[in-house]
Amino acid sequence: MNREAEGGAGARDRILARIREANGSRETVEHPGTLPAGLEPPVAYGGQRPDPVDALEDRLSAAGGRVVRLSGPDSARRWLEEFAQEFASVSICEGVPELLCPSLPNAQPEQAGLGVSMAVGAAAQTGSLLLSSTEGRRSQLLPPTHLVWVRAQDVHATLGAALEARMGDLPAALALHSGPSKSADIGRIIVTGVHGPGRLVAAVLEESGDW
Amino acid sequence: MKVSLFVTCIGDRFYAEASADAVRLLRSLDVEVDFPMGQTCCGQPAWNSGHLPEARRMAEHTLAVLKDAEYVVLPSGSCAAMLRCTYPHLLGRRELSDRSYELAQFIVDILGVHELGRGLEGRRLAYHHGCHALRELGVREQPEQLLRSGGAELVPWEMDQECCGFGGLFSVKTPEVSTAMADRKLDTLPAAETIVSADGGCLLQLESRARYRGLNLEFRSLASTLWEARRGSP
Amino acid sequence: MEVHSRDYAKRARAILRDTPGVREAVTAATRSFDDHRRSAFAELDGEALRDWAEGVKSHALTHLDRYLEQAESRLMERGAHVHWAETAEDVHRILRELVEREGVRRAVKAKSMLSEEVGVNPLLEAEGVEVFETDLGEYIIQLLGEPPSHIVGPAIHRSLEDTQALFSERLGTATDASPEELAGAARGILREAFLAADLGISGGNFLVAETGSIALIENEGNIRMSTSLPRVHVALVGIEKILPRLADLSTFLQVTSKSATGQPVGTFVSIIQGPGGSRGGEPDGPEELHVVLVDNGRTRLLADPEAWEALRCVRCGACLNICPVYRQTGGHAYGYVYSGPIGAVISPGLVSLEETFPLPFASSLCGACAEVCPVRIPIPHLLHTWRERAVEQGLTEGTARSLMKGWSRAATHPRLFDWIERAMAVLPDGISRRLPMLRDWTRGRSLPRATGPTFREIWKDGIE
Repeated sequence: MNREAEGGAGARDRILARIREANGSRETVEHPGTLPAGLEPPVAYGGQRPDPVDALEDRLSAAGGRVVRLSGPDSARRWLEEFAQEFASVSICEGVPELLCPSLPNAQPEQAGLGVSMAVGAAAQTGSLLLSSTEGRRSQLLPPTHLVWVRAQDVHATLGAALEARMGDLPAALALHSGPSKSADIGRIIVTGVHGPGRLVAAVLEESGDW
Repeated sequence: MKVSLFVTCIGDRFYAEASADAVRLLRSLDVEVDFPMGQTCCGQPAWNSGHLPEARRMAEHTLAVLKDAEYVVLPSGSCAAMLRCTYPHLLGRRELSDRSYELAQFIVDILGVHELGRGLEGRRLAYHHGCHALRELGVREQPEQLLRSGGAELVPWEMDQECCGFGGLFSVKTPEVSTAMADRKLDTLPAAETIVSADGGCLLQLESRARYRGLNLEFRSLASTLWEARRGSP
Repeated sequence: MEVHSRDYAKRARAILRDTPGVREAVTAATRSFDDHRRSAFAELDGEALRDWAEGVKSHALTHLDRYLEQAESRLMERGAHVHWAETAEDVHRILRELVEREGVRRAVKAKSMLSEEVGVNPLLEAEGVEVFETDLGEYIIQLLGEPPSHIVGPAIHRSLEDTQALFSERLGTATDASPEELAGAARGILREAFLAADLGISGGNFLVAETGSIALIENEGNIRMSTSLPRVHVALVGIEKILPRLADLSTFLQVTSKSATGQPVGTFVSIIQGPGGSRGGEPDGPEELHVVLVDNGRTRLLADPEAWEALRCVRCGACLNICPVYRQTGGHAYGYVYSGPIGAVISPGLVSLEETFPLPFASSLCGACAEVCPVRIPIPHLLHTWRERAVEQGLTEGTARSLMKGWSRAATHPRLFDWIERAMAVLPDGISRRLPMLRDWTRGRSLPRATGPTFREIWKDGIE
């Protein structure tokens, strides 16, 4: 058992007992149920372009990210080669298909100029890419530029749907990346790349199939 | 139609002429106005500061004095909110609440009057929404509508719905914060000759601060301004 | 954290008098937050969404025991250690034992109001641990030795010039360094700390019972790093942070982000189920995850028949941003970690009304907070409730009590009342200025004009 026993079990029981006592005479409140579809925050940015990939592109761009849409393996490869030219080294997460790994020298995440990962999903509603800790977190976090591959068929309209799709297979940590790292803590002026990647590029693979 | 006027303690003392203007205005709209002499304070100062027994006593007194009223009209958003929204909570009964109205609310919602006259032609006014009129009574459109229809230009004031900093005892318990709040209102005021509000407390606060700072601004009650609109009509 | 709330009025006065820049910085920042919130809510049915969110949180609170047990089981199944802390001292003991057992030398901290509440930094420092606040705003105030001034933006009371001066003195940056350069300097120091730290400490925005997930919202990436890079991750989570289901989380992440900053969702969200690394069968991540479920006054608040509703709070800061009182001084005036309207209603419950007494009175009761709270906490109503209790318990000043007694007596005796109203007109200003309440009124304000007849006199004479 991982429940910390020393003094802890007593504390646990006392806290739970106090909760039960506090709620004892209180009328319980029913869960209002799943959020009605009509109350979902809008998916399309500014009421335009309701297609999930379009909306993801709009939301992520509005948050300072960049979205590239690639039709097939050839175009992906061509784009990647050109994109990779500005970097000296790369740190690649486990699970990124060979075809989508730039031909750059590998480096430790803390040294690499580019980090590459493969999203396990995306949500258009919030412009979020879902990243799993099973592929390793350092390459997602430490390099100043983060390239995330996303399959178009993994792009869900709502955040709820994107999370639900991962429900049965939750990693130690599931992360949403919805833009470049930013802060306005100094004089309310927005600075990017404060801790996490200052550049976020989402490359959407539009053609379904085996990458 | 017959109404009982509840002038409130601030209206009685600091805005006596404005309260008289409320009477003139209502009479000009063919409303019979009665003034129950036993009326005093609605109890809001006690309620706001957490003195429940005192607030209850004053509320009971007010209820007794106004019990025969067909409608109660108050030239004060804050005290109207006290009667309409707080009394039911404080006393556990609604007997006066549904019959009590702030002046502009009464004119527009009950009398169905949307235009008083053109007596405000050419005037540039800034309207301060008192918090309780705005957020408890939901009175937002009525005063603006009546002022505009009177010919006044209402200047856009980004802080028109922010609190002036009065808040009863709050204004004397934390005078520095209270006056800083008034300053925020005054410092964001666009070019306007007159600031109008339905609340005497807010007007006292803003005017006292403006005079202290030597600002040359006119502060005027909504009742007097509406009477001006009416009186100037042909 | 020590409580200095009793000095609210004095502290507020000092801030306005001695550091006028704070008022400008806080007003600008909160207005900007609030403008963004407004735009975000303009594109949805905010009222219905708030009803729903209120319902979920109230449901969670009225079934809190069951959901906490469920979350605990899920976390333990994933190999996390779950601790229960009744008090700040319990949290200290848990951390002290961990520090000793794991030989912790360096800790990185992600922004957590709860860690401020229970005083994590002084404890760790006393244990010889080097502690780095890694949120940029938190880092700034750590260098200054100040508590946070705002739930979401801890350093919003500091201008660019303030931070230029601070970093120039402490980090050796140029006195006119740009925000990018300043952030870069902090980033360099903190990046090293991240890579060398043995312990990462975070709070938790939500704890999902169904999956045992701890969810954290941020913009910088420091929370992801604090919870991913060190060998041990400790999450301090208030017991009220429960959400029943993962499906609830997706909406709460959005509602909280929109209410806080107007973003669709924070730039980074971490949803943590258990340890990573070899323990979790993953390439990296912490080998140990310790979740500390903290009470520290929350069950007392839950037992309160009125104030329990404040436990729905998601700490978005929307009520601070819209509060005209908060905007004048920022959070430091309130003398406790939770400031603004929500601080004034939860602090008396978490600490005690005696120690935080004037906070419920630090409000003009304008009601703006109630209109923006995403979980519909009736803040003005609760401020009233605490005020009533303060009066009942004799905490308020005698002058105010006597005044209200006297006033209510006058108000129930119309002739006496009439006499007082008329007397005000003839009272010389020199005397008025010395009367208890008017003395304070005239600090910064002229005396109100009470000249001429009262309305009652006019009415008796007849109105033409």
